[in-house]
Amino acid sequence: MENLSFEQALENLEKIVQELESGSTELERAIDKYTEAMKLVKFCSDKLNTATEKVNKILKENGELVDFSIEEENN
Amino acid sequence: MIATEEKYLKISDLNEYIKTMFEENTFLRRIYLRGEISNFKNHTRGHLYFTLKDETSRISAIMFYNNALSLQFKPEDGMNVLVTGRISCYPAQGTYQIYVEKMEMDGIGNLYIEYEKLKKKLASEGLFDKRYKKPIPKYPKKIGIITASTGAAIRDILSTIKRRYPICETILFPSLVQGASAAPEIVHQIKKANEFDLDVIICGRGGGSIEDLWAFNEEMVARAIFASKIPIISAVGHEVDFTIADFVADLRAPTPTGAAEMAVPTKLDTLNYINEKKSRLKNYIGNTINHKNTKLDHLKNNFILKNPMALYELKEQKLDSLLEQATKHIKNKVTESENSFFLLKNNSIWKDPLRMYEKNKVSLETSKIKATNLIKNILEKNKHKEEMMINTLKLVNPLNILNKGYSLVTKEEKIIKDKEEINIEDKINIKLSKGELIAVVKEKKEWKI
Repeated sequence: MENLSFEQALENLEKIVQELESGSTELERAIDKYTEAMKLVKFCSDKLNTATEKVNKILKENGELVDFSIEEENN
Repeated sequence: MIATEEKYLKISDLNEYIKTMFEENTFLRRIYLRGEISNFKNHTRGHLYFTLKDETSRISAIMFYNNALSLQFKPEDGMNVLVTGRISCYPAQGTYQIYVEKMEMDGIGNLYIEYEKLKKKLASEGLFDKRYKKPIPKYPKKIGIITASTGAAIRDILSTIKRRYPICETILFPSLVQGASAAPEIVHQIKKANEFDLDVIICGRGGGSIEDLWAFNEEMVARAIFASKIPIISAVGHEVDFTIADFVADLRAPTPTGAAEMAVPTKLDTLNYINEKKSRLKNYIGNTINHKNTKLDHLKNNFILKNPMALYELKEQKLDSLLEQATKHIKNKVTESENSFFLLKNNSIWKDPLRMYEKNKVSLETSKIKATNLIKNILEKNKHKEEMMINTLKLVNPLNILNKGYSLVTKEEKIIKDKEEINIEDKINIKLSKGELIAVVKEKKEWKI
């Protein structure tokens, strides 16, 4: 799960909720899925809460991606 | 007195003279003017009368019906126009005026016409159709931004994203957003952005006049937006009308800030969303376990589980009933066979076979007599028929005719009916009632009765 991106984790979570709520899952599988889903919930919440701000980039004319900050540009 | 009077011209002569002067001046024969329309009158006969003015001056203008036909817009007071025409004098009024041959809208006016034309064209090609709109992902990882690297637009977009959803990456594809090279640059950057794995692109600029925003009304930009594989949110700050880019884009935002808000959720909304999933999961698992427990309880209280002997008893009963059925079945079979045998055994043939023989013999004799009679009858009937036929045959027999004295002439077995079938010296056969003659023809003649 550590390798998952936030978006993938969220997508998996949505899928599990959908599957479980469709009502055809066997109990044993349902419990496994539930356990997995709760882990995904925690994973997503943690990611959101602890995620550091992403750096903004700018594509230079030479095709290079470099950090971009609006404050510097304005100075 | 008369001589003095002679220097006074008639007004019409003067005006005619002035008219000629105007018309001889090559510069005034084709003149280009820029001005604003006022006192516009559309004469019932189709000629247009108006005044062209600027801040300080005015000139009367007339546009004849046949020239007015080619107008691309509806002239109105207050419109800025570019006109082409000639200057001449209207002698009856003593005024000079411009005779307008061509008139187009100045600046913005032309832009509007172009805008409307392009909008119509692209709409008819289906570029604005809903079915081509790509969905905007709810939780984007990476957003491309195409706008100027300085200015309010980029600042608003980045600060909005940072505030709402800081875990999202952004890449700015800097582009001019105003002036002649803006459109090709925007097109270039849309193509470039499509080389990155972006979830969505925001393309736009802050507000401005229609000329400032013009790049977003260019056909090439519209087509680049349409061709983009990545969904595009248009973000051109303006109040009233939409730009063409807005119509083609997958989603239209009224401002750059608005575009950023549409592109990303807020962190809080997302957390709420996750928590909503969490409570649904808990509900689900709680309900499921309750449900299974209830089912289990119900099963536990089932009669059979509570009275296992009943299970055995039921089987016993079933076995008995099966045994009974089987016995009955076998008995029936035996009885059936016995009955068939009895019937066979009691058949009369076994008791007196000779009588059976006698009975059959008598019946055979009777049949024989019947058959003989039948054949006799048939033979007699046929004999009678035969005699009748012989008599009929006798009547038509040619020999009978010969008996009466006629004879039959043939040549090489062919009956001769006409003297032309025979040549002189031919050998012919004459059949008589008794015997036959062979003769040579000596002469041919007509025959008369």
